[in-house]
Amino acid sequence: MEIPTETQPEVESLNKLMKKTLISVVLAGVAFALYQNFSLMPGYEGLNVGLSNYIIESGLKDTGSLNLITAVLYDYRAFDSLGESTVIFGAVSGIVLILSRKMLPVSSKGLSFIVKRTLGIMTPFIALFGLYVITHGHLTPGGGFQGGVILAAISIIFSIVYGSAFDYRRYSPQTKTALETGGALTFLGLGLAGIFMEGAFLHNLGFLTAETGTLISAGSIPYINIGVGFKVGAGLAIIFYSMIQKTFEEDF
Amino acid sequence: MFTNLVFIILFMIGFYALVMKTNLIKNVIGLNLMEAAVFFWVISFSDIGGEVAIHKMGEEMTKFNDPVPQALTLTGIVIGASTAALLLTLIIELNKFSGTIDREKIEGLND
Repeated sequence: MEIPTETQPEVESLNKLMKKTLISVVLAGVAFALYQNFSLMPGYEGLNVGLSNYIIESGLKDTGSLNLITAVLYDYRAFDSLGESTVIFGAVSGIVLILSRKMLPVSSKGLSFIVKRTLGIMTPFIALFGLYVITHGHLTPGGGFQGGVILAAISIIFSIVYGSAFDYRRYSPQTKTALETGGALTFLGLGLAGIFMEGAFLHNLGFLTAETGTLISAGSIPYINIGVGFKVGAGLAIIFYSMIQKTFEEDF
Repeated sequence: MFTNLVFIILFMIGFYALVMKTNLIKNVIGLNLMEAAVFFWVISFSDIGGEVAIHKMGEEMTKFNDPVPQALTLTGIVIGASTAALLLTLIIELNKFSGTIDREKIEGLND
């Protein structure tokens, strides 16, 4: 018993030291490799040729969307955005599957009366701002993903200020699931409509275009934005409420 | 040049947290730092001093920055958030079963 107690700490500290040295060498090597990589890389050629030039030149004409980033996301590369929202859907499904307990989420009773009244006054404006960011995605900076995160933030603030059972009772998980599924189905339905009317999956719908710069213009882009916004908002709210669930019912 | 240096420093901080720290939540933070470094680099690499690629009504087209890297970065941010949420969920579950989030103190994985 005496020998290991004397030698073990020394061996362990030596092991740790060796490990640290080795990892430091690896870190320094990676940093040096990155530096070399950057010094060998050619400079940025600018936008005179190629895909980006085409999008900047004729993006407004092709899609009717003032915001060219939204045009890339929901028209030129709409298939990528579909995959992206599928990734969110997969993450939500996995989290709910892992953390499913069928308990009321209870962890706090909320903050003071003043905070509750203030949030009651502010909530409609936050929701209005979220909806504005979603529906004006093709005119100003913003879009479905950004506005959806603002909508999910409302849900999270509710749970902090009013106590975590409030949001659960007002908007049940079934409502959120229906919103998320509805958003995904909107996206897919517009894609299928693109097949039947324009001949390609997720092609921009020509008959929906209106005068450029108005709210309902740019073909199917605003509708895809609305679908994605509700999908992202509901999905993030579901993730948050799955994570704060408690296993003990007696706290309630 | 400055952009590259900032990228390398941020990326190496993230990599250090991923490799050296044994706390799993710190590992997730390191992963997110590495992601943030890549996004920062992509955005500032494509910045040629123009404006954000959004037309304004009633104005002539000015010099724009490249919209494609910005759109791809938005995709990357969303996917990064999803993976971080899934990883944190797995850590919550691991803490429930083994009582620790230190990756060198986890026991009972051999059964």
